[in-house]
Amino acid sequence: MSNKPILQLSIYGAVCLALLLIPAFIDDAFLLNKLARYLIFGMLAVALSLSWGYAGILNLGQATTFGLGSYCMAMALKLKTVPIHTGAEGLPDFMVWNNVTELPWLWWPFQSLPFAVAAGILVPAAFAALLGWFMFGGRVAGVYSAIITLAAMVVVNLIIIDQQSYTGGFNGITDLARFEVLGISFDAYARSTYLLVAGSLTVALFAALALTRSKTGLILQAIRDQEERVRFFGYDVARYKTFVFAVSAAIAGLAGMLYTIVMEFASPTFLGVPLSLSIVIWVAVGGRQSLLGAMLGALLVTGVQGSLSESETFLSTWTLVMGGLFVLIVLFMPRGLAGIVSGLRRRDTARKAAAQPSHPVGAAGAPAGRTA
Amino acid sequence: MDFVVSQLLTGLSLSSILLLVALGLAIIYGVTGVINLAHGEFVMLGAYCAWLLQTQLGWGLLPSLIPIFVAVALLGLAIEYLVIRHLYDRPLDTILATWGLGVMAQQIVRLLAGGELRYVQMPGALSESVNILGATDSAYRLFVLAFALGLFALTWYVYRHTSIGLQLRAITQNRQIASSFGINAGRAYRLTFAYGAGIAGLAGALISPLKSVSPEMGTGYVVDAFMVVVVGGVQSLFGTVVSSGLLGELTGALAYLSNDTIAKALVLAAVVVIIRFRPQGLFTPRLRA
Repeated sequence: MSNKPILQLSIYGAVCLALLLIPAFIDDAFLLNKLARYLIFGMLAVALSLSWGYAGILNLGQATTFGLGSYCMAMALKLKTVPIHTGAEGLPDFMVWNNVTELPWLWWPFQSLPFAVAAGILVPAAFAALLGWFMFGGRVAGVYSAIITLAAMVVVNLIIIDQQSYTGGFNGITDLARFEVLGISFDAYARSTYLLVAGSLTVALFAALALTRSKTGLILQAIRDQEERVRFFGYDVARYKTFVFAVSAAIAGLAGMLYTIVMEFASPTFLGVPLSLSIVIWVAVGGRQSLLGAMLGALLVTGVQGSLSESETFLSTWTLVMGGLFVLIVLFMPRGLAGIVSGLRRRDTARKAAAQPSHPVGAAGAPAGRTA
Repeated sequence: MDFVVSQLLTGLSLSSILLLVALGLAIIYGVTGVINLAHGEFVMLGAYCAWLLQTQLGWGLLPSLIPIFVAVALLGLAIEYLVIRHLYDRPLDTILATWGLGVMAQQIVRLLAGGELRYVQMPGALSESVNILGATDSAYRLFVLAFALGLFALTWYVYRHTSIGLQLRAITQNRQIASSFGINAGRAYRLTFAYGAGIAGLAGALISPLKSVSPEMGTGYVVDAFMVVVVGGVQSLFGTVVSSGLLGELTGALAYLSNDTIAKALVLAAVVVIIRFRPQGLFTPRLRA
C-alpha cells in the first residue's frame, strides 16, 4: 500500500501493459494458452486479495464462484455446438445419454450468449451476496466464516456431481463451441483469446484498485482491523462485507468464464477444495494486502508449477516444496512477497526523512474477528 | 424390525468413525483454539503405519495400535514445537499453516509409498459377522464402535478427573490467570496437540481395514470431523459424542432415502445453518464471557 497513488498507478499500469504486449513476442500457440491460464489464476488471486487482504474475510471457497461462472459459459457454448450426435432438438449429448428428452428450463436462457455472459458475473455475485448476507448478518466471522465458505463449496460441488443429467456430472461439460462475439472467434490457442484474458485482467485489477482506494475501501480496511469499532461508528458492517464479498465473486465469475474459453470445458474440479486452497496459497505468497502482489504471486507459483509439470516426480517434489514454503510464509512473512517490497521502500523513505520517525508499521496478519 | 436395526447399525458405524476422527480434533480445537487442517493427514499417516507394519513386519492390526499411537503423537509433538506454537494468537493463520503441513505430509507419503490404493487386513478374530436383534453386522465394526466409546471415556476421565485435566480446563477458561498460578500452558498445549494427533493416528489405523488407504484419504475426514466438532460445541466433549451420533445416523438415513452424495450435501448444508445460528455449538451450556 503505497502512499503515492501516482507511483502505484504507474506500477500497476506497467505490469498490465507488459502482460498485454507479451503476444507480440511469443508465437507459440500452446505457450500463449498456458500463459492465458496463468493470467486467469492471477485474476482469481485479485478476487481473493480483495476479500481476504482488504476486508479480512478468508474465503476458503473462492472456487465456488469461479466454477459457477465457468458453468454459465460452458452451458451457453454447449448449446452453440453443431448437434451431430444429438437429435434435431439440439440437446447436449450428455443429456441424450441420460435420457433427458427436452431442454431443462434452467438451460433455456443460456441459448442467448449475452445472457450467459451476464449470468457468469451476476450468478456468482448473487450467490456470494446471499451467502454473505447469511453469514455477516449473523455476525459470523473469522474462522467460522472460513469454514462456512468451505462447506458451501462442497455442497455446490456435490450437487453438480449428483445432477448428472443436467450438469454432465463428474465429467463436466465438454465438446464446446467457440466463443464468438462481434464476428471475432476466440480460439483457445489464438492471440485474440490471450488478449481477451489479459484485457479482462487489467480491467478487473484496476476496478479492484479503485474500490480499495474509495471510501468504501477504506471502511473495509477499517473493518478488517477493528470490526467492532467501525460498527460503533454506525456503519453497517454486514452490508460492507457482503458487498466486497459479492464484488470478489463477480471477478472470480468472470475468471471462470474465461477459463472455460481457454480450457474448452467445465468440470466439477473447477469448484474443488484443491483449487480453492491453491488460490489461498498464491495470495499468501504474493501478499494478501496487495492486489498486484497477489496476482504476481499466482503467476509465479502456477508458472513454476507449470514448467515442472512435465515430470511426475518433479511435480510431487514441487508440491512438497510449495507446502513447506507456504508454512514458512505464514509463519514469518504474513504479508507475502509484496511485504518485502513495501518494507524495503519504507526503510528507504525512513532513511531519507531521517529527522521524522516513519509511521508505525501495522502489525502483520489481520487479527481475526472472534465470534462470541 | 431387523431393517430398522440394520439401518441404525449402519448409522452407528458411520458415527463411530466420525467420533474417532473428531475426538482428536475436538480436544485440540477445544483446548488450544487451533484449527488443525492437517488432522486428516494424521489419520492418513496412522492408516499407512498400519499398512507398513502389516506388510513389512507382518504385525496384526491390534498389536500395531500402540506403536502407531506413539509414532503419530511424536510427530504431533514435533509439529507443535516447530510450527503451531508460533501461531496461537493468529487463529486464521493456523488454518493455513496446518493445511500447508497437510500438503507436505500427503506428498511425502506419495513419494515414499506411491499414490496407489493400499489395503489392510482386518484382525482375523473379528472378521465374522454378529447377529443383533435379527440384523447382522460385522464384528469388526462393533469393535470399532466399542473402541471409539472407550477412547472417549478415557479422554473424558483424563479431562475431568486428573490433575493434568484440571490444568487444561483452567487454561481453557483463562490462560493468563492459569499461567500466573504456575501452570505451564505451553507444555499443556504441546501435550494436548500430541495426544490429539495420536488419537487421529489410531483412528486411521482402525479405519484402514474398512476403507482403502490412499494419500488423499484424510481430506474428506477433516471436513467431516470439523463439522462434528462445530455442531457438538467446542468446549464440550459430550457434545462431540452426541453430534457424531447425530450426524452419522442422519447421513445413514439420508443416504438410504436418496443417495450418498445428496446425503452428504444435505448434512453439510444443515451444518452451515447450525454454525450461522449457534456458532457455539448445539450442546454447549451458556458460558460466561
